[in-house]
Amino acid sequence: MFKFIKKYAETMEHASIYPMISLLIFFIFFVVLLVYVKKMDKKSVQILSNIPLDVNEEQNTQPI
Amino acid sequence: MQVEKFYYDNRTVKNFTYATIFWGVIGMTVGLYAALQLVFPQLNVTQYGSFGRLRPLHTNAVIFAFVGNGIFMGVYYSLQRLLKARMYSDLLSKIHFWGWQLIIVAAAISLPLGLTTGKEYAELEWPIDIAITLIWVVFGWNMFGTILKRREKHLYVAIWFYIATLVTVAVLHIVNSFELPISFFKSYSWYAGVQDALVQWWYGHNAVAFFLTTPYLGLMYYFLPKAANRPVYSYRLSIIHFWSLIFLYIWAGPHHLLYTALPNWAQSLGVVFSVMLIFPSWGGMINGLLTLRGAWDRVRDDVVLKFMVVAVTAYGMATFEGPMLSLKNVSAIAHYTDWIVAHVHVGALGWNGMLTFGIIYWLIPRIFKTNLFSKKLASAHFWLGTLGIIFYAVPLYWAGFTQSSMWKQFTESGQLKYSFLETVTYLKPFYAMRSLGGLLYVVGVLIMVYNVYKTVKAGKLVANEEAEAAPLEKHITKSGEHWHSKIERKPLQMMLFSLIVILIGGAIEIIPTFLIKSNVPTISSVKPYTPLELQGRDIYVREGCYTCHSQMIRPFRSETERYGEYSKAGEFVYDHPFQWGSKRTGPDLAREGTGNLKKTDGWHFRHFREPGSMSEGSIMPAYAFMLTQELDTSNTAAKIKAMRTLGVPYEKGFEYKANAHLLEQANGIVKNLKNDSIRISPTKEVIAMIAYMQRMGADINKQNQP
Repeated sequence: MFKFIKKYAETMEHASIYPMISLLIFFIFFVVLLVYVKKMDKKSVQILSNIPLDVNEEQNTQPI
Repeated sequence: MQVEKFYYDNRTVKNFTYATIFWGVIGMTVGLYAALQLVFPQLNVTQYGSFGRLRPLHTNAVIFAFVGNGIFMGVYYSLQRLLKARMYSDLLSKIHFWGWQLIIVAAAISLPLGLTTGKEYAELEWPIDIAITLIWVVFGWNMFGTILKRREKHLYVAIWFYIATLVTVAVLHIVNSFELPISFFKSYSWYAGVQDALVQWWYGHNAVAFFLTTPYLGLMYYFLPKAANRPVYSYRLSIIHFWSLIFLYIWAGPHHLLYTALPNWAQSLGVVFSVMLIFPSWGGMINGLLTLRGAWDRVRDDVVLKFMVVAVTAYGMATFEGPMLSLKNVSAIAHYTDWIVAHVHVGALGWNGMLTFGIIYWLIPRIFKTNLFSKKLASAHFWLGTLGIIFYAVPLYWAGFTQSSMWKQFTESGQLKYSFLETVTYLKPFYAMRSLGGLLYVVGVLIMVYNVYKTVKAGKLVANEEAEAAPLEKHITKSGEHWHSKIERKPLQMMLFSLIVILIGGAIEIIPTFLIKSNVPTISSVKPYTPLELQGRDIYVREGCYTCHSQMIRPFRSETERYGEYSKAGEFVYDHPFQWGSKRTGPDLAREGTGNLKKTDGWHFRHFREPGSMSEGSIMPAYAFMLTQELDTSNTAAKIKAMRTLGVPYEKGFEYKANAHLLEQANGIVKNLKNDSIRISPTKEVIAMIAYMQRMGADINKQNQP
């Protein structure tokens, strides 16, 4: 398995690069996510959150 | 635009609901029985009903049968309605339903028979693994078919959770189930030792994440707003909840292996991501609870909401506790104790159980077009369930903390204060109380069975429920539209994106462990098992000894004093599968065959026959059947060959001499036993078990000998 990269990986010395990569991926990912959510259009958010309620099958919404 | 008329399929929903209830009763009853076995060891009746075989049956039944069917029940109901479309194919729904039930039946038969891979929550043998993969594909096919023919443009957040579940469970299941079959009923894990442990807990933790959590969060995002009749508190928060949860969860697995022989950097990664997990988890919990803002008065009368509130609260508690337990200093206390058992049951009984019951009480009257038979009984179920959880969890938290403290206590002169057995007998009353909690919970479920039965009798199934909706317009792309809005409309891209997100974490953790040799330093004195030891080890796996015994000594004084030198990564390189275990109901066995733990062959023989005769008060099941059962040596050659394929350095042709070697070693043990006035034939299973016991952990001490 992974033979073609194994040779290089075995001699890899900078194991500390893994946490750094992880941190970067993590950080960028969440910044982008937060910016996106912040910029979401209010009206579409409302439409989206009403999807489960907006159906015609309501025969009985009374608490049982 | 012309509206189209179509019908929702309620029959499949009904089938999955019945299956959920049926397997729930079975899985929980087996759990209750296993709990009682810890108090009354004489309940270990025959080899098929011993704790080591019933415990995997309990966990598999509850996770894959009860919660699994619960997932499908909720998904088949909500997906159709969220997409305004009938399920893609009735045939696929049918194959999915019956296929899944067959898999469960196969599991319920094979696990008591001792057919197991020996990896927790992935015990099922390879033919069943393949069946699971196929049925999972059918489920995915049916789900994506429905998504593609939907009449609702946007995919509601619940569906994202379903998609992430589908993709991730597939990846986890396939990667963890790599195994080499030696017969129809037996296989060896492809990975060994540390690598096997890492893959297993990457899988194990994400089974919690993507089987017990994400699909149920999807259900929460659909059924909670439905039951409360108001939209979710914050849709924005649900987006953050989704992406951060699936992104972080996949990294957290190594927190199950703190202070073990796993490389330190992998442990640290697991801890950091586990701690971060509290944010998305609590975001989700808060989102769920705040959905009820302004409607809390209804929780008083609406039993469905009561169940859901307790479920979401239990989710919050379990996901607070999880990150705490991931801290190394807390793990040092909690790991291997009943604390962990209490923790998972808050999740399973509280979050999964209570949410399932809430959904069933909401759903059954709707698809049968009637009212619930008795609100009073449902309320009684609610209280029994809630009290059951408390009665279950509190004694076990207490037991876990107590036992851990007793393990670590030294006398003034620096000796360990308590023998292991003393800590076990001390816990018996706690185990009894825990069983009482379990009993309350099961009684509650039985009340639900009656209530559902009466409700169903009073109503009539609306197998095909009529609905109307306009078909989907062809979408015209607006320029400047946001990329995420596009993704929300494109399920395949969504799936791909989720896949990438979960692969990053898994890849960064797992690949280096496989590639970088220095992660698993080899020890030259560690040699492959002899054929007899290998056979013994397979019996150890078959009997599920790992459900109560660990084989991993952590580097603490309290452990090295009790068990000997702490465990090294290099000691496990030939262990397919690894057997580190996760719970010490009995003592660690990693150095059973060496140092001051070493016992005579006769001791082991008598202990297997009747544990109480050697360790008074022991709650270990008796394994007297091993004294009469013949060891199956017909597969020795196949086993040696398979091991060689997996990289264990048995010399070429050794498989042909293996059984002769096996007999020779067995005769040696028989001779030892004879000197101890025990007469037995060398072909019995117990001989192989003794050989394995005497080998455990011994290699490392040979290093210092000339």
